[in-house]
Amino acid sequence: MSHQPTITDNLQFSADSKLPQILFGVGGAGLLVSAYGYFTNADQFFFSYLVSFTFFTGIALASVFMVMFHHITKSKWGVVIRRIPETFGATLWIWALFAIPVLLGIHNLYHWSHEDAVAADKILKGKSAYLNTPFFIIRQIIYFVIWGYVGHKLYKASIDMDKTGDWGITSFMRKVSAPAIPLFGLSVAFASFDWLMSLDPHWFSTMFGVYFFAISFQSFWAVMILMVFFLQRNGYLNNTIGQAHIYDMGAWLFAFTVFYAYIAFAQFLLIYYANLPEETLWFYHRLEGSWKFIAYGLLLLRFALPFLVLLNREQKHRRNILAYVSVLVVIMHFLEIYWIAMPTLSAHGIHFSWIDLSTFLGLGGIFFGLFFRQFKQNSMIPEKDPKLGACLEKSYHQ
Amino acid sequence: MSIKQKNLYGILAEFNNPKELINISKEVVKLGYDKFDTYSPFPIHGIDKAMKLKKSKLGWIVFGHGILGFSGALAMMYFMSVIDYPLNIGGKPFFNVPAWVPVTFELTILLSAFGAVFGMFFLNGLPRFNHPLFNIERFKNSTDDKFFICIEASDSKFHTDIVTDLFKNAGASYIEEVYE
Repeated sequence: MSHQPTITDNLQFSADSKLPQILFGVGGAGLLVSAYGYFTNADQFFFSYLVSFTFFTGIALASVFMVMFHHITKSKWGVVIRRIPETFGATLWIWALFAIPVLLGIHNLYHWSHEDAVAADKILKGKSAYLNTPFFIIRQIIYFVIWGYVGHKLYKASIDMDKTGDWGITSFMRKVSAPAIPLFGLSVAFASFDWLMSLDPHWFSTMFGVYFFAISFQSFWAVMILMVFFLQRNGYLNNTIGQAHIYDMGAWLFAFTVFYAYIAFAQFLLIYYANLPEETLWFYHRLEGSWKFIAYGLLLLRFALPFLVLLNREQKHRRNILAYVSVLVVIMHFLEIYWIAMPTLSAHGIHFSWIDLSTFLGLGGIFFGLFFRQFKQNSMIPEKDPKLGACLEKSYHQ
Repeated sequence: MSIKQKNLYGILAEFNNPKELINISKEVVKLGYDKFDTYSPFPIHGIDKAMKLKKSKLGWIVFGHGILGFSGALAMMYFMSVIDYPLNIGGKPFFNVPAWVPVTFELTILLSAFGAVFGMFFLNGLPRFNHPLFNIERFKNSTDDKFFICIEASDSKFHTDIVTDLFKNAGASYIEEVYE
């Protein structure tokens, strides 16, 4: 095994790239415009904000999951792409700031936060030990402490290895990952209950946490594929990330397309078949009116089409196919979160607002701005990782 | 030799390492033989390219079976719950697609798995009781430490002397004619 793998690429993202500033500019402008929306239509603003916020947070959380899985399974295949999800995770502690508007909008978003409403409602009274404003805020703090800490720690350890070349850090990263996986699993599940499920506080689904994980992880792979293509198109890592690694990401995207469909349908089927009024109402609102177009659109464009397109081995090798499918999955991911959250606000049908777009651009600009700001400070791959050589040698079978 | 008429199956050559096997495979391909096979105790990286093996058709067989399972399951349930014996279950429609998904899913998977296993058998020419190569005593080493190649007599370019010379020149450690 080669100790010093030969890398022919430049591993440093251009230090004078203006990309983070541009993205921050877009993000700042988007948020400013959205702030105007706050004064015209506060409910719409907070719902739009929540949709975009969960969209991007989910991708960052799935990144940290991927890094932890990678460490704990001692994987070799993805060493060259690992720095990208690590960097997403490293920005999570700053991203916590953008949870604050959700807390400010708690009365606009969450019916259970109104004490008079709770007092008049037997079901909400029963749930008030969990669904109350102080505990909600405490939970958000706990989540972001866990996520920010783990994300930063894993990133920091990986950077340290770049600098010192100390392979012992590998076992440290494994030691962090092992207990952090169950912690993440629980905190992500409860966060999804808090952000999305409690929008309709009468409704409950024990599967919702897995469902949120599944949708986030599927779109995470789509984002990864697009990110790698973006870097390569700009001349980075063309000889480092090879066809075999691209194929692996395509295979992950395919696998999680199936996983997503399985989980999403399992949640629907149990509720549909049991036909209990308190559970079916949630789906009733989302399968009536124009909302049903999104529901069937998800079935066709988020599962059936990607599934059939990526089923064949050849297709997972073809970059343009992977890029199209990834874009489709990302769009459908946004629409799915929209479809989960928005019927609470407009039960009668889809009502797109310009604030949906401006908050999405705003938070997206900030999210990717933070990413690239961090990404350009260090090497784009873990260059001293002991398994890097094996990863680079990964051969490509057609 | 008081033997009945025997059919020549092919000519078998033994090599001592995978590298030689890859080289001879490349040469055999270059000379235009297409009915030949190689035998080794373990998978050799790159042998499929050296032999110019075509991509397996197994995927298409599995896909066909999957489609059959999918449509078969839907057709079966449609016949049972809509045409033959409609039952009112909790006021749900007879044509109740969500409730049919688990069975459809399972039958798709089941027939795909059958397609994969039996399709593999079919493509490998299995099951069969014997193979002419088992007549050769030294061929047993193909599961131990020797590497074999056999050009079959049914190949249109096959000629006993030419093939024997080819293997001899390539440095085969043992050559034998295989009879059925």
